[in-house]
Amino acid sequence: MILQNALVDALNDTEWAFPLAECVHIGGFAIGVGSIALVDFRMLNLGLRHESTARILRYTELWTIFALVFVLFSGAMLFLSQTGVYLVNQVFPIKMYILLAALVYNFTIHRKVATMENPPPMLSKAAATVSLLLWVLVVFGGIFTGFLE
Amino acid sequence: MTIAHTIESIGFLSDFSESVLAYPIVLSTHLTCIALFGGMILMTNLRLLGLTFGSVTNTQMVTSLRPWKRVGGTIMISTGLLLAASEAGKYAPNPFFWTKMIILGLIGVHGFIFRPLVYNRTEELDRAAVIPTRVKVAAILSLVLWTAMFVMGRLIAYWE
Repeated sequence: MILQNALVDALNDTEWAFPLAECVHIGGFAIGVGSIALVDFRMLNLGLRHESTARILRYTELWTIFALVFVLFSGAMLFLSQTGVYLVNQVFPIKMYILLAALVYNFTIHRKVATMENPPPMLSKAAATVSLLLWVLVVFGGIFTGFLE
Repeated sequence: MTIAHTIESIGFLSDFSESVLAYPIVLSTHLTCIALFGGMILMTNLRLLGLTFGSVTNTQMVTSLRPWKRVGGTIMISTGLLLAASEAGKYAPNPFFWTKMIILGLIGVHGFIFRPLVYNRTEELDRAAVIPTRVKVAAILSLVLWTAMFVMGRLIAYWE
Protein backbone atom coordinates (compact mmCIF):
# COMPACT_ATOMS: atom_id res chain seq x y z
CA MET A 1 0.00 0.00 0.00
CA ILE A 2 2.78 2.43 0.90
CA LEU A 3 4.59 1.61 -2.32
CA GLN A 4 1.37 2.00 -4.25
CA ASN A 5 0.69 5.40 -2.70
CA ALA A 6 4.22 6.55 -3.42
CA LEU A 7 3.85 5.52 -7.05
CA VAL A 8 0.44 7.11 -7.37
CA ASP A 9 1.67 10.36 -5.89
CA ALA A 10 4.67 10.41 -8.20
CA LEU A 11 2.53 9.77 -11.27
CA ASN A 12 -0.19 12.23 -10.34
CA ASP A 13 1.95 15.03 -8.97
CA THR A 14 4.65 15.09 -11.59
CA GLU A 15 3.48 16.64 -14.81
CA TRP A 16 5.64 14.49 -17.08
CA ALA A 17 5.49 11.18 -15.18
CA PHE A 18 2.23 9.90 -16.67
CA PRO A 19 3.12 10.74 -20.29
CA LEU A 20 6.58 9.23 -19.71
CA ALA A 21 5.04 6.00 -18.39
CA GLU A 22 2.73 5.98 -21.42
CA CYS A 23 5.66 6.48 -23.80
CA VAL A 24 7.52 3.58 -22.19
CA HIS A 25 4.33 1.50 -22.38
CA ILE A 26 3.69 2.18 -26.07
CA GLY A 27 7.36 2.12 -27.08
CA GLY A 28 7.75 -1.16 -25.23
CA PHE A 29 4.81 -2.82 -26.92
CA ALA A 30 5.98 -1.52 -30.30
CA ILE A 31 9.31 -3.33 -29.79
CA GLY A 32 7.78 -6.37 -28.08
CA VAL A 33 4.93 -6.93 -30.50
CA GLY A 34 7.06 -5.82 -33.47
CA SER A 35 9.70 -8.43 -32.69
CA ILE A 36 7.07 -11.16 -32.29
CA ALA A 37 5.49 -10.03 -35.59
CA LEU A 38 8.79 -10.61 -37.40
CA VAL A 39 8.70 -14.26 -36.28
CA ASP A 40 5.05 -14.43 -37.40
CA PHE A 41 5.85 -12.91 -40.80
CA ARG A 42 8.53 -15.57 -41.24
CA MET A 43 6.08 -18.33 -40.27
CA LEU A 44 3.59 -16.94 -42.79
CA ASN A 45 6.35 -16.93 -45.43
CA LEU A 46 5.94 -13.19 -45.89
CA GLY A 47 9.53 -12.15 -45.21
CA LEU A 48 13.05 -13.19 -44.15
CA ARG A 49 12.58 -16.46 -46.02
CA HIS A 50 16.34 -17.06 -46.24
CA GLU A 51 16.50 -17.90 -42.56
CA SER A 52 14.68 -20.49 -40.42
CA THR A 53 11.90 -19.42 -38.06
CA ALA A 54 13.86 -20.84 -35.12
CA ARG A 55 16.80 -18.55 -35.90
CA ILE A 56 14.57 -15.47 -36.30
CA LEU A 57 13.02 -16.34 -32.94
CA ARG A 58 16.47 -16.60 -31.37
CA TYR A 59 17.50 -13.19 -32.74
CA THR A 60 14.35 -11.45 -31.56
CA GLU A 61 13.47 -13.29 -28.34
CA LEU A 62 15.60 -11.26 -25.94
CA TRP A 63 14.22 -8.02 -27.38
CA THR A 64 10.70 -9.37 -26.96
CA ILE A 65 11.18 -10.37 -23.33
CA PHE A 66 13.06 -7.21 -22.41
CA ALA A 67 10.41 -5.00 -24.05
CA LEU A 68 7.50 -6.91 -22.51
CA VAL A 69 9.00 -6.46 -19.03
CA PHE A 70 8.99 -2.68 -19.62
CA VAL A 71 5.41 -2.82 -20.96
CA LEU A 72 4.12 -4.77 -17.97
CA PHE A 73 5.94 -2.58 -15.47
CA SER A 74 4.81 0.73 -17.02
CA GLY A 75 1.31 -0.72 -17.48
CA ALA A 76 1.16 -1.58 -13.78
CA MET A 77 2.20 1.99 -12.93
CA LEU A 78 -0.51 3.45 -15.18
CA PHE A 79 -3.06 1.12 -13.61
CA LEU A 80 -2.04 1.97 -10.05
CA SER A 81 -2.19 5.69 -10.73
CA GLN A 82 -5.88 5.49 -11.63
CA THR A 83 -7.09 2.24 -10.10
CA GLY A 84 -10.63 3.53 -9.73
CA VAL A 85 -10.94 4.41 -13.40
CA TYR A 86 -9.68 1.02 -14.61
CA LEU A 87 -11.64 -1.08 -12.15
CA VAL A 88 -15.00 0.21 -13.37
CA ASN A 89 -13.97 0.20 -17.05
CA GLN A 90 -15.81 -2.46 -19.07
CA VAL A 91 -13.12 -2.94 -21.70
CA PHE A 92 -10.11 -3.11 -19.36
CA PRO A 93 -10.77 -6.64 -17.93
CA ILE A 94 -11.30 -7.98 -21.48
CA LYS A 95 -7.95 -6.50 -22.47
CA MET A 96 -6.31 -8.18 -19.46
CA TYR A 97 -7.75 -11.60 -20.35
CA ILE A 98 -6.58 -11.27 -23.96
CA LEU A 99 -3.16 -10.08 -22.76
CA LEU A 100 -2.87 -13.09 -20.47
CA ALA A 101 -3.89 -15.39 -23.34
CA ALA A 102 -1.38 -13.69 -25.68
CA LEU A 103 1.47 -14.02 -23.17
CA VAL A 104 0.77 -17.66 -22.33
CA TYR A 105 0.28 -18.51 -26.01
CA ASN A 106 3.48 -16.75 -27.04
CA PHE A 107 5.73 -18.65 -24.68
CA THR A 108 4.05 -22.06 -25.09
CA ILE A 109 2.35 -23.06 -28.35
CA HIS A 110 3.82 -20.25 -30.48
CA ARG A 111 7.35 -20.91 -29.24
CA LYS A 112 6.95 -24.65 -29.70
CA VAL A 113 5.81 -24.34 -33.32
CA ALA A 114 8.45 -21.69 -34.09
CA THR A 115 11.25 -23.95 -32.88
CA MET A 116 9.97 -27.13 -34.60
CA GLU A 117 12.37 -28.45 -37.18
CA ASN A 118 9.92 -29.12 -40.00
CA PRO A 119 6.48 -27.99 -38.93
CA PRO A 120 3.59 -28.62 -41.34
CA PRO A 121 3.18 -25.30 -43.23
CA MET A 122 -0.46 -25.05 -42.24
CA LEU A 123 0.40 -25.40 -38.55
CA SER A 124 3.03 -22.67 -38.81
CA LYS A 125 0.65 -20.33 -40.57
CA ALA A 126 -2.17 -21.00 -38.14
CA ALA A 127 0.12 -20.44 -35.14
CA ALA A 128 1.37 -17.14 -36.60
CA THR A 129 -2.12 -15.92 -37.46
CA VAL A 130 -3.41 -16.59 -33.94
CA SER A 131 -0.38 -14.78 -32.51
CA LEU A 132 -0.87 -11.66 -34.68
CA LEU A 133 -4.58 -11.65 -33.95
CA LEU A 134 -4.08 -11.86 -30.16
CA TRP A 135 -1.53 -9.04 -30.07
CA VAL A 136 -3.56 -6.77 -32.35
CA LEU A 137 -6.55 -7.35 -30.07
CA VAL A 138 -4.44 -6.34 -27.05
CA VAL A 139 -3.55 -3.05 -28.79
CA PHE A 140 -7.19 -2.41 -29.71
CA GLY A 141 -8.17 -3.27 -26.13
CA GLY A 142 -5.73 -0.69 -24.82
CA ILE A 143 -7.11 2.10 -27.01
CA PHE A 144 -10.72 1.15 -26.38
CA THR A 145 -10.07 1.16 -22.63
CA GLY A 146 -9.39 4.86 -23.04
CA PHE A 147 -12.42 5.56 -25.24
CA LEU A 148 -15.24 3.48 -23.80
CA GLU A 149 -16.15 3.44 -20.17
CA MET B 1 -13.61 30.45 -39.54
CA THR B 2 -10.02 29.27 -39.84
CA ILE B 3 -8.76 26.73 -42.36
CA ALA B 4 -8.43 24.15 -39.57
CA HIS B 5 -12.07 24.52 -38.62
CA THR B 6 -13.11 24.35 -42.24
CA ILE B 7 -11.23 21.06 -42.63
CA GLU B 8 -12.68 19.42 -39.54
CA SER B 9 -16.21 20.49 -40.41
CA ILE B 10 -16.12 18.62 -43.73
CA GLY B 11 -19.09 16.22 -43.52
CA PHE B 12 -17.44 12.84 -43.24
CA LEU B 13 -14.61 14.13 -41.03
CA SER B 14 -16.94 15.55 -38.39
CA ASP B 15 -19.04 12.36 -38.49
CA PHE B 16 -15.81 10.44 -38.05
CA SER B 17 -14.50 12.32 -35.02
CA GLU B 18 -17.89 12.08 -33.33
CA SER B 19 -18.28 8.36 -33.96
CA VAL B 20 -17.95 6.19 -30.85
CA LEU B 21 -16.30 3.36 -32.77
CA ALA B 22 -14.67 4.76 -35.93
CA TYR B 23 -12.20 7.08 -34.20
CA PRO B 24 -10.76 4.51 -31.74
CA ILE B 25 -10.65 1.85 -34.49
CA VAL B 26 -8.56 4.11 -36.74
CA LEU B 27 -6.36 5.14 -33.80
CA SER B 28 -5.83 1.46 -32.87
CA THR B 29 -4.89 0.70 -36.48
CA HIS B 30 -2.41 3.58 -36.42
CA LEU B 31 -0.85 2.14 -33.23
CA THR B 32 -0.85 -1.45 -34.47
CA CYS B 33 1.17 -0.24 -37.46
CA ILE B 34 3.66 1.40 -35.10
CA ALA B 35 4.21 -2.00 -33.52
CA LEU B 36 4.33 -4.07 -36.70
CA PHE B 37 6.41 -1.75 -38.85
CA GLY B 38 8.29 0.02 -36.08
CA GLY B 39 9.59 -3.44 -35.15
CA MET B 40 10.80 -3.95 -38.70
CA ILE B 41 12.55 -0.57 -38.81
CA LEU B 42 14.19 -1.25 -35.43
CA MET B 43 15.43 -4.71 -36.40
CA THR B 44 16.69 -3.54 -39.82
CA ASN B 45 18.73 -0.79 -38.17
CA LEU B 46 20.05 -3.14 -35.49
CA ARG B 47 21.11 -5.52 -38.28
CA LEU B 48 22.92 -2.66 -40.08
CA LEU B 49 24.73 -1.94 -36.80
CA GLY B 50 25.70 -5.61 -36.58
CA LEU B 51 23.90 -6.09 -33.26
CA THR B 52 21.56 -8.94 -34.19
CA PHE B 53 20.36 -11.16 -37.07
CA GLY B 54 23.97 -12.17 -37.79
CA SER B 55 23.14 -14.96 -40.24
CA VAL B 56 20.67 -12.84 -42.22
CA THR B 57 22.49 -10.59 -44.71
CA ASN B 58 21.80 -6.85 -44.83
CA THR B 59 20.47 -7.36 -48.35
CA GLN B 60 17.94 -9.99 -47.22
CA MET B 61 16.94 -7.90 -44.25
CA VAL B 62 16.39 -4.71 -46.26
CA THR B 63 14.84 -6.19 -49.40
CA SER B 64 12.50 -8.72 -47.81
CA LEU B 65 10.99 -6.21 -45.37
CA ARG B 66 10.87 -3.23 -47.73
CA PRO B 67 7.47 -3.99 -49.33
CA TRP B 68 5.91 -4.44 -45.87
CA LYS B 69 7.38 -1.20 -44.62
CA ARG B 70 5.78 0.51 -47.61
CA VAL B 71 2.40 -1.02 -46.87
CA GLY B 72 2.79 -0.05 -43.20
CA GLY B 73 3.89 3.50 -44.05
CA THR B 74 0.88 3.97 -46.31
CA ILE B 75 -1.59 2.77 -43.66
CA MET B 76 0.18 4.84 -41.00
CA ILE B 77 0.08 8.07 -43.03
CA SER B 78 -3.51 7.65 -44.20
CA THR B 79 -4.86 6.81 -40.74
CA GLY B 80 -2.75 9.64 -39.27
CA LEU B 81 -4.12 12.12 -41.82
CA LEU B 82 -7.66 11.05 -41.00
CA LEU B 83 -7.08 11.45 -37.23
CA ALA B 84 -5.44 14.88 -37.62
CA ALA B 85 -7.90 16.24 -40.18
CA SER B 86 -10.94 15.22 -38.13
CA GLU B 87 -9.67 17.32 -35.22
CA ALA B 88 -7.80 19.93 -37.25
CA GLY B 89 -8.88 22.72 -34.88
CA LYS B 90 -7.11 21.01 -31.98
CA TYR B 91 -4.04 20.01 -33.99
CA ALA B 92 -3.37 23.33 -35.76
CA PRO B 93 -2.14 25.21 -32.65
CA ASN B 94 -0.44 22.13 -31.12
CA PRO B 95 3.37 22.55 -31.14
CA PHE B 96 3.94 18.79 -30.65
CA PHE B 97 1.95 18.07 -33.79
CA TRP B 98 4.09 20.44 -35.87
CA THR B 99 7.28 19.08 -34.29
CA LYS B 100 6.09 15.64 -35.31
CA MET B 101 5.49 16.85 -38.87
CA ILE B 102 8.97 18.38 -39.00
CA ILE B 103 10.44 15.07 -37.84
CA LEU B 104 8.40 13.30 -40.52
CA GLY B 105 10.00 15.67 -43.03
CA LEU B 106 13.44 14.92 -41.60
CA ILE B 107 12.76 11.19 -42.00
CA GLY B 108 12.08 11.94 -45.67
CA VAL B 109 15.40 13.80 -45.91
CA HIS B 110 17.12 10.87 -44.17
CA GLY B 111 15.74 8.51 -46.80
CA PHE B 112 16.72 10.84 -49.62
CA ILE B 113 20.33 11.03 -48.37
CA PHE B 114 20.92 7.51 -47.09
CA ARG B 115 18.94 5.37 -49.51
CA PRO B 116 21.55 5.74 -52.29
CA LEU B 117 24.41 5.66 -49.76
CA VAL B 118 23.32 2.74 -47.57
CA TYR B 119 19.96 1.05 -48.08
CA ASN B 120 20.37 0.53 -51.85
CA ARG B 121 23.98 -0.65 -51.50
CA THR B 122 23.56 -3.49 -49.04
CA GLU B 123 25.37 -6.05 -51.22
CA GLU B 124 28.50 -3.97 -50.91
CA LEU B 125 27.95 -3.79 -47.13
CA ASP B 126 27.59 -7.56 -46.90
CA ARG B 127 31.07 -7.93 -48.40
CA ALA B 128 32.67 -5.22 -46.24
CA ALA B 129 34.90 -6.42 -43.40
CA VAL B 130 33.97 -3.59 -41.05
CA ILE B 131 30.74 -1.58 -40.83
CA PRO B 132 31.36 1.76 -42.62
CA THR B 133 30.74 4.92 -40.57
CA ARG B 134 28.00 6.14 -42.95
CA VAL B 135 26.02 2.99 -42.20
CA LYS B 136 26.28 3.50 -38.45
CA VAL B 137 25.27 7.15 -38.85
CA ALA B 138 22.28 6.19 -41.01
CA ALA B 139 21.06 3.49 -38.61
CA ILE B 140 21.48 5.58 -35.44
CA LEU B 141 19.84 8.65 -37.02
CA SER B 142 16.95 6.52 -38.21
CA LEU B 143 16.44 5.10 -34.68
CA VAL B 144 16.63 8.59 -33.12
CA LEU B 145 14.21 10.12 -35.65
CA TRP B 146 11.63 7.34 -35.34
CA THR B 147 11.81 7.44 -31.53
CA ALA B 148 11.30 11.22 -31.55
CA MET B 149 8.42 10.80 -34.01
CA PHE B 150 6.69 8.35 -31.71
CA VAL B 151 7.26 10.42 -28.53
CA MET B 152 5.87 13.55 -30.23
CA GLY B 153 2.83 11.56 -31.34
CA ARG B 154 2.10 10.66 -27.72
CA LEU B 155 2.71 14.20 -26.44
CA ILE B 156 0.18 15.66 -28.89
CA ALA B 157 -2.50 14.39 -26.52
CA TYR B 158 -1.05 16.31 -23.57
CA TRP B 159 -0.93 19.83 -24.96
CA GLU B 160 -3.76 22.12 -24.01
